[in-house]
Amino acid sequence: MTMMQRMPGALAALLLASGTAGPALAGKPVFELEIRNHLFWPSELVVPAHTKVKLLITNNDPTPEEFESYELNREKVIMGRRTAVVFIGPLAPGEYPFFGEFHPKTAQGKVIAE
Amino acid sequence: MLLTSVIIVLREVLEAALLISILSALSAAHGISRGWIGWALACGMASAIGLGFGIDTVSNWFDGVGQEVSSACLQFAIYLAIVVLLLLLGTPAGTEKRSTGVLSIVMAAIVALAITREGFEILVYIFGFAGILKQLLVVLVGSAIGAGIGISIGALIYYLLRSMPHTPSHYVSLFLLILVAAGLVSQAALLLIQADWLPAQLPVWDSSSVIAEDSVTGQLLYALVGYEATPSAIQAGFYFGGALLMLMVSAGSAFRRRLQRNSTRETA
Repeated sequence: MTMMQRMPGALAALLLASGTAGPALAGKPVFELEIRNHLFWPSELVVPAHTKVKLLITNNDPTPEEFESYELNREKVIMGRRTAVVFIGPLAPGEYPFFGEFHPKTAQGKVIAE
Repeated sequence: MLLTSVIIVLREVLEAALLISILSALSAAHGISRGWIGWALACGMASAIGLGFGIDTVSNWFDGVGQEVSSACLQFAIYLAIVVLLLLLGTPAGTEKRSTGVLSIVMAAIVALAITREGFEILVYIFGFAGILKQLLVVLVGSAIGAGIGISIGALIYYLLRSMPHTPSHYVSLFLLILVAAGLVSQAALLLIQADWLPAQLPVWDSSSVIAEDSVTGQLLYALVGYEATPSAIQAGFYFGGALLMLMVSAGSAFRRRLQRNSTRETA
């Protein structure tokens, strides 16, 4: 049990020391996404590469949606008419598709890291 | 729409079904009444409904990452309950009778927590279509099919485990349990990374070209071993650390059981 308690702390300390968590203190760039009629607006979102980014996803539909991306390793339920926060990155330059799991045929988009 | 609902519900049901089948098999092998399953299902569904009603409040906790943090806590709680279960299963045979009640409570807790998490997502999904009758019917049919497939896979695993001789069945069950539990802690780490509570890093490997996460194999592996095609070092660390801790606990238990068996043999 002690190992479980120590491990996250030790890891966090290690990463803090190595400076990975440095940019976290500087405040992250914020990008906004909207869900309307089970579509993402914009469907292509350009974000800086190698930077942690805060996504604000507003679901304007009355029904819930789940923001999901295998490439970004993200999954979050967003209830109808609510805004959700999802942190992504730092990403290597490239394209990262995402979709709305509850309406995967229409709700599609991608994050482009440059 | 039909296929989407089959997949969504199957994914959620599969994780809970795996845990239920492994624990039922362990229960049966250790002569524990499986009455706890009913209680676990009822409590799990009740708390999933509760979470569904409270989701607006929960989502706003911790600057909008309450969903991630509460889900991660649920996952850690399931993991810890499985560690406790492994410790209890290792208690000497003489005291095992007394701990049967405790064992069933721990198993019920594991399943109830798992159902809370998976059930919540299914409820949110289905209730989203509550106002649209035509779609709702399709979604309900799809959900029923998905749940049916998930439960069938669970039943298959249960009967496979039960058809084995006692000792191999016990170890295979423990092994599966360790895999599922390691997957749970790595998912919890991922949720905390998503919430920005743990630092994010570039992935340590990318196996998406070998097994894509959205393929059938990828989905099955995700449910069984928490497969990730692009995990970060922290996530992999939680996975292997979590698995290692459980291996040590079960090895310790096996050792104690052997000691106990030897000492009873000597006294006899």
